[in-house]
Amino acid sequence: MASEAKNRTLIACMGDEDTITGMLLAGIGQVTNEPGKEKNFQICNDDTKSDELLAKFDEFTSRDDIAILLINQHLADVIRLEVDSFTAPFPAILEIPSKDHPYDPEKDSILRRVRRLFGDS
Amino acid sequence: MSGAGNREQVFPTRMTLGVMKGKLKGAQTGHSLLKRKSEALTKRFRDITKRIDDAKRKMGRVMQTAAFSLAEVSYATGGNIGFQVQESISNNARFKVKSRQENVSGVYLPQFEADINESINDFKMTGLGRGGQQIQKAREVYSKSVETLVDLASLQTAFVILDDVIKVTNRRVNAIEHVIIPRTENTISYINSELDELDREEFYRLKKVQEKKQIATAAADALMAAKKLKEEQDRLNELEKHEIDDVEKLVVKDEVVKEEESEVNTKANDDDNTDLVNETEGDVIF
Amino acid sequence: MEGLFFNIDAGYIEGLVRGYKNSLITSSQYINLSQCDNLEDLKLQLSATDYGNFLADINQTLSTSIIEQKLNKKLIEDFNYIRSQATYPLSKFMDFITYSYMIDNILLIITGTIHNRDKAEILKKCNPLGWFDTLPTLSITTDLNSLYETVLIDTPLAKYFHNCLSIDDLDDLNIEIIRNILYKEYLEDFHNFCVTELPNPTDEIMDRLLNFEADKRTINICINSIDTDLSTEEKMKMLPSIGLLTSNDSIKYQLSELSDLENLKILISSVGPYKEFFNDSSSSSTAGGKSLEDSFYEYEMNLNRNAFTQQFTYSTIWAYIKSKEQEIRNIAWISECIAQNQKDKINNYISVY
Repeated sequence: MASEAKNRTLIACMGDEDTITGMLLAGIGQVTNEPGKEKNFQICNDDTKSDELLAKFDEFTSRDDIAILLINQHLADVIRLEVDSFTAPFPAILEIPSKDHPYDPEKDSILRRVRRLFGDS
Repeated sequence: MSGAGNREQVFPTRMTLGVMKGKLKGAQTGHSLLKRKSEALTKRFRDITKRIDDAKRKMGRVMQTAAFSLAEVSYATGGNIGFQVQESISNNARFKVKSRQENVSGVYLPQFEADINESINDFKMTGLGRGGQQIQKAREVYSKSVETLVDLASLQTAFVILDDVIKVTNRRVNAIEHVIIPRTENTISYINSELDELDREEFYRLKKVQEKKQIATAAADALMAAKKLKEEQDRLNELEKHEIDDVEKLVVKDEVVKEEESEVNTKANDDDNTDLVNETEGDVIF
Repeated sequence: MEGLFFNIDAGYIEGLVRGYKNSLITSSQYINLSQCDNLEDLKLQLSATDYGNFLADINQTLSTSIIEQKLNKKLIEDFNYIRSQATYPLSKFMDFITYSYMIDNILLIITGTIHNRDKAEILKKCNPLGWFDTLPTLSITTDLNSLYETVLIDTPLAKYFHNCLSIDDLDDLNIEIIRNILYKEYLEDFHNFCVTELPNPTDEIMDRLLNFEADKRTINICINSIDTDLSTEEKMKMLPSIGLLTSNDSIKYQLSELSDLENLKILISSVGPYKEFFNDSSSSSTAGGKSLEDSFYEYEMNLNRNAFTQQFTYSTIWAYIKSKEQEIRNIAWISECIAQNQKDKINNYISVY
């Protein structure tokens, strides 16, 4: 596990344009020519199909250099089943709010696990 | 609790008993150790859970502020800078994470740390004409919020790992407490009862052997006694015969009186015989 | 005298623009807008203005981007209507207005070409105001070479490219530098056109407006390049040579040479009208105070408002377009504040009417 975490240095992001722009401003973006690792961010809008989301989600979660995957909550909702059933420690999946969709703790898969564990609602 | 039938398949010997006792001891020590580990982890886990809850809520606010700073940018630049920003990304990220390990009761929890390479700035030129200041400001705000996200990610990863480890540990604790220990105890009591049973069997067997021996001795004694009696009788009869012959020879007239006398002698001999038999039987029984 | 023949060609248009001007959202309407609790309220308030039912056909949840999009659409419709009525020299004048958007569009395509992006996507992002017939053909080109050739020959911006950029520059220079060089060329050309071709009082007013536009860019470039490693020569190339600051060569040179904020402030404050900018914006880095950008916008809006006081001039169209843009920004800002619950900053909009 130790070596696994060592090589993971990138933050990936899936989100709407504003979220991505902000994250890129913070400097998380990395574009390379290496096949399969061209971009570590993906703009998804309302037209993005759920299977495209899934494909991207799978791509990011299976890359070995990503430590954290940020995903807009409203996008995570579309592929909720996959997000919920992804339990590996790496990459850590964080659901973040987007500009048009404020954060709802009730939907967050980790927080729901927390609640389930402690039985309070 | 597990039924009496739940035990290990062993031969009930004294050596196995020793092994089992050692095993029980080990299981109890292991149980208390694991229990303590699980408690330590759970403490940590609850702590993290609480912090996750707080951090997630905080993130909601932080991200909102960040989104707002972006709104300021689009107000200042009068347009969407998304495309420009996307296209100015270089092949090395400015904002990376470093991971560090933290050891909690033998569990390695990764801690992410923001690793900002200040020398990289892909957006120096963005907004040169207008809105540059707002862009730089938004950059800072977003950097801050990503740092918050990185912290949150550490917590969350720790949460996921701890959750797993605690589950495994608790499973082990429960397995030891409810399966291994009772089973070992069952095995031990089984071995003990088997050994006791063997002991009793052995004792009974010895008694039985003794009894058989005594019966045999008594029988032999009785035989011997009967033999003796018969010899005596024979001898008496012989003696009587001689006497009768003598009497017949000497006194023919006194015949009736002498016959009465011989009858009395026989009766007395009979009485002696019965007493002997009675005595032997009593000895054997008690 | 100048007004004598003005109405033959431009009388209708001027009336139109003044009509539009009267429908610009006023301060009291802004106050109403900023009282709204949610975007639905805002929509209701806006329907009382000239925008009418522009949001009526939106059936999904309102968002700032949708509102902004619709507002822009209205502006473009207005602009195109005026444009279709215009004759020379007004038509030329209006073309010049669109050039600045064209610069952005072309740069968008150049960026896309460098990074091999999907051209259809990029075309969607282009500003419709800067649309020209050959824009789609630009998007077909796949390499920089042919793109450069097309830009040089086919677009109205050809002369700007030709003057200052070689084909190698497209590849080497940062896209922002190219943008600012083009913008400088454009401003100078536009200024030249206004002063030489257009009748009085348009030239006077436009001179004032464009000078400020140039100065605004100059100040911005200087301030924003403090932390970059741009050389003095590169900066000189980007600074327009019109405007109060830069028409004087020595000031221009000093500006491009300075590399710390304080000295820049002193230098800029030495020029009359810009004195107060830094008084207000000195605390701009800390939140709350007015930012430099806000001061610029405010000053610009005042200039625009003043432009309406003159009659028989084309500059009203410029002023109207700019006011409208500001109005869209204002509404977008207000709706953003409402959507994100940041009411404390909602009054940062700029209203002059």
